Amino acid sequence: MKKPLRLTVNGETRDFPVEPYYSLLDALRDELHLTGTKKGCDEGDCGACTVLMDGVPVTSCLVLAHSAHDTQVRTIEGLAGEGLADSRGLHPVQQAFVTYGGLQCGFCTPGLVMSAVGLLQDNPDPSLDDVKYAIGGNLCRCTGYSKVIESIMAAAQEMRNNNG
Amino acid sequence: MPENIALGKSLPRVDAMEKITGKATYASDVYLPGMLMCKLLTSTESHARIVRLDVSQAEALPGVRAVITGKDYPDVRFGSGALKDRRIMATDEVFYIGEPVAAVAADDEITAREAVELIEVEYQPLPVVVDPLQAIRDDAVPVHEDLESFEGYGFAGGGNNCTLLDADRGDVVQAFKDADHTFEETYQSQPINQGFLEPMACVAELEPNGRLTVWASTQGPYQVRAQLALVLDIPVSRIKVIAMELGGGFGAKLRLALEAFPAMLAMKSGRPVKLINTREEAFTLNGPRLETNIRLKTGVMNDGRIVAREAYSIFDVGAYLGAGPNSGVGHALGPYRIPNFKLRSYGVYTNKIYVGSYRASGVADMTFAVESHMDSVAHQLGIDPFEFRSINAVEEGDISVSGARLPKNGLRETMQALKERLGLPKIMGEDRGVGIALGEWRSGSGPSTASISVNDDGTISMLTGSVDISGSDTSMAQIAAETLGITLDQVVVPKRDTDMAPFTGPSGGSRIVYSQGKAVQLAAEDARDKLMALASDRLGVPPAALVCEKGKIYVQDNTPQQVTLAQLASMSLTSPQGPIVGTASLSSMPYAPVFNAQAAEVLVDRETGRVKVTRFVQAQDVGVAINPMSVIGQLEGGAVQGIGRALSEELQIDPETGRVLNPSLATYLMPLAVDMPEIETILINVPTDDGPFGARAVAEPPGFGPPAAIANAIYDAIGVRIKELPFTAERVLAAIKGQEPKAGFIDIEALLGGESPQE
Repeated sequence: MKKPLRLTVNGETRDFPVEPYYSLLDALRDELHLTGTKKGCDEGDCGACTVLMDGVPVTSCLVLAHSAHDTQVRTIEGLAGEGLADSRGLHPVQQAFVTYGGLQCGFCTPGLVMSAVGLLQDNPDPSLDDVKYAIGGNLCRCTGYSKVIESIMAAAQEMRNNNG
Repeated sequence: MPENIALGKSLPRVDAMEKITGKATYASDVYLPGMLMCKLLTSTESHARIVRLDVSQAEALPGVRAVITGKDYPDVRFGSGALKDRRIMATDEVFYIGEPVAAVAADDEITAREAVELIEVEYQPLPVVVDPLQAIRDDAVPVHEDLESFEGYGFAGGGNNCTLLDADRGDVVQAFKDADHTFEETYQSQPINQGFLEPMACVAELEPNGRLTVWASTQGPYQVRAQLALVLDIPVSRIKVIAMELGGGFGAKLRLALEAFPAMLAMKSGRPVKLINTREEAFTLNGPRLETNIRLKTGVMNDGRIVAREAYSIFDVGAYLGAGPNSGVGHALGPYRIPNFKLRSYGVYTNKIYVGSYRASGVADMTFAVESHMDSVAHQLGIDPFEFRSINAVEEGDISVSGARLPKNGLRETMQALKERLGLPKIMGEDRGVGIALGEWRSGSGPSTASISVNDDGTISMLTGSVDISGSDTSMAQIAAETLGITLDQVVVPKRDTDMAPFTGPSGGSRIVYSQGKAVQLAAEDARDKLMALASDRLGVPPAALVCEKGKIYVQDNTPQQVTLAQLASMSLTSPQGPIVGTASLSSMPYAPVFNAQAAEVLVDRETGRVKVTRFVQAQDVGVAINPMSVIGQLEGGAVQGIGRALSEELQIDPETGRVLNPSLATYLMPLAVDMPEIETILINVPTDDGPFGARAVAEPPGFGPPAAIANAIYDAIGVRIKELPFTAERVLAAIKGQEPKAGFIDIEALLGGESPQE
């Protein structure tokens, strides 16, 4: 039976009933229709469902929806239009993926972007290895990772410039 | 020379904004009112007769709206090509573990899953054969008793043989007699999964007018439509396939996959039905590549010239020929001039998941064998491996295996670029080595169409039937923009479906930019010619004196005399010819080979057998890079897939039952960011005569070389040649210890009971 759940998603507090067995991923997708967060495996192996929960990257398929009660959740839909946005409203990490070819089919992209945003929050000046480890749980089959890493390094530089 | 407007520029993808904001809609993102969820019941037996199938309890479960079995479908078989060997759902017999047996549509996923568990099946086990080297024997257990009754079956090879590809030239027997040296080796490739991140998904709905709408994750919407019409026995015109955003396919999504299950359930229930594969099902329901055993024999003269090649390839197709026959045999010569050859490839049925396509099916396996063998022969002859390849490399004018004359190409330039980037031969140090491999692909062809209409603001709408893979929409939009002298943002690329877009072949085989892009270029030229004719009338000068550039058409010698595309579009509405639409159709494109050269540097840990790729360099002749960022992105991605194939990826198949033992991303090991070296990519530009602006195919070749380049580097490092993929630490350690590999010598004649049957 569905039970009430409160989540603050991308800054907006939502109260809605969710089945007790639902993952945070299913709650976002099936109940809130925030389908930008992707289900690639539902087993915590691919990273496509990565969101920020209270600022920390988590694979939302492994988080029970009700264990996220009263948390702040940030998804790919909530990135644009915040802070250091360019004229089109993209987050610098999003803009860098567009400019440097960090996305191809796009299915792993939301998860990769959220992992990168999580990294740059804590570590504004990451090394190449820092970036590789931060996205170590995000599988991408199209790019071979080179342009993803290049995009994240460029975004870090851009964000440092903006903050400097 | 006027500066390019769109061509050759690393512009962002036309679909970048929707993808980067999470707004792009994949099939699993489709939610319809009243939509049911589908779950499948699959076979637990490798080969068995279905004695009893009782769905009554499932049907009685509250929330269940429809249950189907194989008996709900018309009695038809379909296939990936001419051979029609497969039913969409088992009827009386199952042929592999994981074969669909029944499907349920219910109000929600958990109810559907519960209903599946209530279906009762009783199986009577039948004899099983899993090893293709057993299955090929005349006395093997038959996978399909009624093989000879299959439509399109044309090969009476005995045993479970279902296909034969062959090619011969010259006098092989005499050439081997005359050769100074003869070398013979056997190689084995492993079963692998395509590893697309988006699991297969589909929504189907029966429209009030009786038509079926299918939201699909597919590379080939028209193939899905045709095969769906076949298995449902309804006309293609009653089906609309909407190709949603594609989350990776790599060949796995070229044909009908799971669409027939929600389609039948939608027809039965009258409600929209959604099916999303689990990740486990992505490994067990959908055709992977299976093992290929390849035996190569090469005759060489003392000066290094190859005079003869014999190749036998035994290609495991699993329970059905889901893709094939194995085109790899055409690559058994490699990009080398070999005057005498005898090439044979046998497809053989076994009781395991049916084979599918994956990024140049068969060619990657063959390239591993051929390029490892070339290195091995060079070392045994005492010739430098690069030099040995150089002596034998094909030249313009040579005749390919299929009989085509080799046109202008960049093989030599590609090899030279790789050599220069690698630098002078150096002592790599203990346990370090370098290896190279060459690769060859033909730019993909097939039916292609495009339609370009000029909008009344001077922008254009580019309509094609093809699905975007790896940025092909962007490249095609750049082709259209360049042809019409407008910027990329002036090109509208609509989402499309099989009702609105003209027919085209699937997005696969590296054919989109070369063939479909050619159709776009021709359609844009057609639109431009029409604009020019109209401008000619308006400006009172012949079309030859006009230039179409920067959104306007002007007189070459008198630029102030001009008319904008927007003005022309408005004028066209009342002109005798009417609104401006450029169209083009073509069915094939000339042979345009693509060559690449790749090199790996490795570090081998002798204690553990672990191989680390420390550097990877590749050069490829791309003709002209329409969008260099996109081209390099594909070459990097392809190389990394090849490195995964070389080092870690292996679909483990139980030798007794054919069951896939590692159906998860935790146990099927694809490369991670932390595993990968930087990929150094060099683009060589030897334009084709016929491709759009001289472009060649791009995406298939980068996956070919890594297994052989890494095998050759391992040999260079530690003097051990490994002939079975992948090079896991266990396998490398066993080879270091001198243990015999599984893939020993294959006695083809004994397997086939004498000489091969077609002789």
